[in-house]
Amino acid sequence: MSRRRLPEWFVLLLPAFIVIAAVVLIPLIFSLYSSFTPYKLTRPSTLWKWVGTYNYEKILTDAKFWAAFGRTVLFLTIVLNLELLLGLGIALMVNKVTWGQRSLRTVLMFPMMFSPILVGFQFKFIFNDNIGLVNNVLQSMGFNAALPWLVDGKLAMFSIMFAEIWMSTSVFAILILAGLFAMPRDPLEAAKVDGCTAWQTFRHITLPFLMPFIYIAMTIRSLDVARAYDIVQIMTGGGPARRTELLWTLMSRTGYVDARMGLANAMGYVSILLSILFTVYFFKKLSAARAEIGMAG
Amino acid sequence: MDRNQSHRNRKRMLKALHFAALFMTMSIICIPGLWIVLNSFRPTVEIMAKPPVWTPSFTLEHYRAMFGGAGEGGVPVFSYFRNSIIVSVVSTLIAILIGMSGGYAFARYRFKGKAGYFVGLMLFRAVPGVALSLPLFIVFARVGIIDTHLGLILAYVAMNVPFTIWLTDGFFRQIPKELHEAAEIDGCNRWQAFWRVEFPVARSGVASAAIFAFLTSWNEFALASQLTRSVGSKTMPVGLLDFTAEFTINWGGMCALAVLMIVPALILTFLVQKHLIAGLTFGGVKG
Amino acid sequence: MTEVTLSNVVKRYGKHQAVHGIDLGIADGEFVVLVGPSGCGKSTTLRMIAGLEDISGGEISIGGRVVNDLPPRERNISMVFQNYALYPHMTVRENLGFSLSIAKKPVAEIESAVRQAAEILGLDELMERKPAELSGGQRQRVAMGRAIVRHPDVFLFDEPLSNLDAKLRTQMRVEIKKLHQKVGNTIIYVTHDQVEAMTLADRIVLMRDGHIVQVGTPLELFNKPVDTFVATFIGSPPMNLINGTVMGAEVIQLADGVSVPVPSSARGLVTDGQKVHFGFRADNLMPEGHSVQEEGEKASLDLSVTLTEPLGTETLLFTEIAGTEVQAKMLNPRPVRPGEKLTFQLMLDKCHVFDAASSNAIRS
Repeated sequence: MSRRRLPEWFVLLLPAFIVIAAVVLIPLIFSLYSSFTPYKLTRPSTLWKWVGTYNYEKILTDAKFWAAFGRTVLFLTIVLNLELLLGLGIALMVNKVTWGQRSLRTVLMFPMMFSPILVGFQFKFIFNDNIGLVNNVLQSMGFNAALPWLVDGKLAMFSIMFAEIWMSTSVFAILILAGLFAMPRDPLEAAKVDGCTAWQTFRHITLPFLMPFIYIAMTIRSLDVARAYDIVQIMTGGGPARRTELLWTLMSRTGYVDARMGLANAMGYVSILLSILFTVYFFKKLSAARAEIGMAG
Repeated sequence: MDRNQSHRNRKRMLKALHFAALFMTMSIICIPGLWIVLNSFRPTVEIMAKPPVWTPSFTLEHYRAMFGGAGEGGVPVFSYFRNSIIVSVVSTLIAILIGMSGGYAFARYRFKGKAGYFVGLMLFRAVPGVALSLPLFIVFARVGIIDTHLGLILAYVAMNVPFTIWLTDGFFRQIPKELHEAAEIDGCNRWQAFWRVEFPVARSGVASAAIFAFLTSWNEFALASQLTRSVGSKTMPVGLLDFTAEFTINWGGMCALAVLMIVPALILTFLVQKHLIAGLTFGGVKG
Repeated sequence: MTEVTLSNVVKRYGKHQAVHGIDLGIADGEFVVLVGPSGCGKSTTLRMIAGLEDISGGEISIGGRVVNDLPPRERNISMVFQNYALYPHMTVRENLGFSLSIAKKPVAEIESAVRQAAEILGLDELMERKPAELSGGQRQRVAMGRAIVRHPDVFLFDEPLSNLDAKLRTQMRVEIKKLHQKVGNTIIYVTHDQVEAMTLADRIVLMRDGHIVQVGTPLELFNKPVDTFVATFIGSPPMNLINGTVMGAEVIQLADGVSVPVPSSARGLVTDGQKVHFGFRADNLMPEGHSVQEEGEKASLDLSVTLTEPLGTETLLFTEIAGTEVQAKMLNPRPVRPGEKLTFQLMLDKCHVFDAASSNAIRS
């Protein structure tokens, strides 16, 4: 191959590199830069003023930020774990079904197809304290109090988590189902003969085999974790009075409503780091788990 | 004899529980969507009724109002729909082309730093839409493509390329290299060998990737909400939020809009559910 | 103590009946082989005994207890699977000890049981390896080790040697037989290979289409097959069968004018004009001078050899009688050219007659 021609792989990847560089990399760099400035949309000249880590210090000492951050981490931890457990349970149940499994799998995919905005809207309607389905049912059953699902701090967080779990449990269920499908049956029968109860078979044989699939699901989910923003935005907008403020709604409000772009970008970077951390963590676990069960054999 | 009996009973009980649990799960999945669809056909009077009315009556008033355009304070449903279609289809096509060529590069070639590039690409997908929207807004504003189809399409292409590369890489790896070599021996050059031999075999994988990209673009909100300003370019998710914010008691109308939004996605799901699962696991398991 | 009894056991898959009401009694310490062509129901029967398949009808008892609805773990059985079914993420040591650790046995006990099993099967050097790092034969031995570690009442083997190459198979066959002599438990073994059945079994259960065709010791099935199916399934090469018609209750007329006298075992039981199959094994048709010296009725036939298969100590000769290709054996063989004519001696006492309509043996 002559020196003058570019290597083929490079040419093939070039469009991808260009697009991502232009639309993601460069804005991110810009974002990083602006996080060191007190940039305000309303006063463009502030873009050129360098204030070092002032913004970062500001957010790290801001109680509201920590509240949102803490709420976000708590939210993610609870939601991811519940989605995993529920997804695992659903996968196991669907796996046992003898006929109609394909239709069940199709139904399972519905929630994944909905835009998070749509999911948020659904539950905004259902949890509405006046005419929502939940309160209507409760009322018809005799409870007279109209529960403020979207107003009370704790109830609102619950409603949002419910929506998010509703939306994303399917990802886990479907991936784990694929794993169960790929699992060799013989060791399961051997375990039965060896004296295992259903639970023991699951714990010692099924679960180790499923670990790679679980980690794949976790990794995929971590990439999308910020979609919760859409749900919160339409259900509560981060309120009322910031009771359901998550990192992303705070960011959005700071940047677009308060127009403090520099500050918002600093927050943005923190949230990016959070996402990447989750993803890398699970990806590492995935590689380890694959090696464990000797994926080659 | 007694042990046999007790095991028999346990089996029956477990079966019943299993069925009940499955039924409950499927209900929880289906009910919210069905509720929305149902309410889009109920008159507003009935939706707002207190105490709640349980026997539904049927009306098309919301849909008529929506498509009437002028009514309901003028919800430009067609514009939203049109914008969504244009942006999603175009960005999907471009993303597939770019993603396929990138995926092919990763699947078929060896080069230094390959793993690094791959991981790097994937990490870009990890950037939350909202965080990206901030600088993107500023940059696009400077360039002047806020509130255009082009701006959104660019953003979505960039968003979809990493995942598309991941998926198509997995699919291309499944195809034995020998096929390509046999085609070259038969007289094809690289280009022909790819389009006439490898691409058809990977078709279902490419289809899965296309579906994913389309759905990601169709359902995206965070970027769209900031990169669009007017009806000229707002997509359906943004439209739904606007509608919700503006008409806080027109639930029936909002439900109708929601139904309009979900229908294309559901149809697509039905058509390709087999491919979707293959797509999710191929890229991940063999990877 | 550990006898196994099947009473009218039936297995149905929807409308299709895979096993039709079989009755079988297996004594304590017996090595019983279920054998038959694919789809005959032998594996299904074994799995019903194990508890891996539900029983659609009838009763199975192990050691005097009815076990119909009991899960495998309550039946005190062990099983060696066709594909070994080793736990891929555990080492050999962990695989062997798994069942004992589930039963919460003390660590010392587990260690000694594992060590014992490893010794018997020669696994000492493989203990820390994972199944993916073992050869087929090694995996097979680990699977057997896993089975013996628990000292169950009954051992079940489901075609354990099918995935091994021919040489390894004969080796492992010997190992299994030695194991039975050493350990002495009841063994129920499933295979489609009649050689395995003959060499291993105390008694053979030959099955076909979900029914038991014949139960007996290997020699019983070999010498007294109950119908043409048994006759051709057991023994290698398969028994030669030639169509014929009984003439006058003394003679069987085969095609081409060839006729043979009715063998002593069937004399007086055939009727004139009855259509029959005349059967004899290759061992019973040998050329003069290259056969076993034995007393008994013989018939002489001049036949021309079409094909030879030299095996070393003997040669298989292909020839034709009455238009049907048959196989004969030649002891102390010398080279034979295709087309060569030899005088063969047929041992009439060892011949069989089967009724053509029912395929059943006609025997006193």
